[in-house]
Amino acid sequence: MKRTLIAAALLAFAWPAAAQTPAAGKRVQVSGEIVDTWCAVTGIMFGLGTAHHQCAVWCAVGGIPVAIRDKDGQFYMVLRIENEDVSVAAPKIVKIQTHQVTVDGELFERDGVKYLLVDKVADDKGIVNLTHDEHGVVPFGE
Amino acid sequence: MGFCLALSAVSASAPTTAAEPWNIPHEKQVVLKGRVTDALCHLKGRCASDCGGGKRQLGLVLADGAFRLVAKSNIDFAGAIADLIGYCGREIEADGLLIENPAVTLFFVQGIRTDASAPFTPAERFKTEWEARHGKAQEWWRADPEANRLIAEDGPLGIKGLAPKPRP
Repeated sequence: MKRTLIAAALLAFAWPAAAQTPAAGKRVQVSGEIVDTWCAVTGIMFGLGTAHHQCAVWCAVGGIPVAIRDKDGQFYMVLRIENEDVSVAAPKIVKIQTHQVTVDGELFERDGVKYLLVDKVADDKGIVNLTHDEHGVVPFGE
Repeated sequence: MGFCLALSAVSASAPTTAAEPWNIPHEKQVVLKGRVTDALCHLKGRCASDCGGGKRQLGLVLADGAFRLVAKSNIDFAGAIADLIGYCGREIEADGLLIENPAVTLFFVQGIRTDASAPFTPAERFKTEWEARHGKAQEWWRADPEANRLIAEDGPLGIKGLAPKPRP
């Protein structure tokens, strides 16, 4: 009985160590717009293109996760970019908010989220999603 | 047997949420109980003893093994790293909104505690720490030097020379 309890306890607390085992994701190429995840997902503030660029910079500087939103509306959360393990207000990604990019990287899917470790920004077309004529500057209008 | 009963007792006494609803599609008020972990460590095994020292996105590993990325704090336009980083590797209760959008699942934390009998502490450390660095500001986002530098460089629409239409 005592041995069973010890084994159960060890099993219950084994997962933190397992989480640190190096893992390999799926090699992918993803194209889409760099967005701040909060606004683009919740729709609280129109979260795309030029209309939302300023807000996207605020959110990225504020540490909200940045993602690539592809043409099908799927989000790829960026956790690493070009040899830098920084994903909170990372200068490399804050600088390209709203840009249309194609990236090569490693994909992990877990519990309803696609996570992307970007090895290389293969193409950067700059900002091509011109939404300000229709929406103005979102939020606040300025 | 006793261990199993103890686990059952823990799961039966789910803490009560006090999270404010925002009427976001797919939102659900929940208290998540889990260990604070950085996402890169959890997924890739690329770990840092301090969870990245505030430079990596953080989440909670729940008892069932699920990982919940914490995307936002109670401060406008700000994430929750400042609220979570002090708990790296520790178990907390996080009160907030779980948004299970079919495209992506996010968690918006509004309060944190480590003692189940204590009230939740509002997830607002970003503002405290920002003000310690930059001084008081009614809207941190309009006063942030880095954000202002980037917006001044490319304009509010992100394209040099492109300006919003004057408001009528």
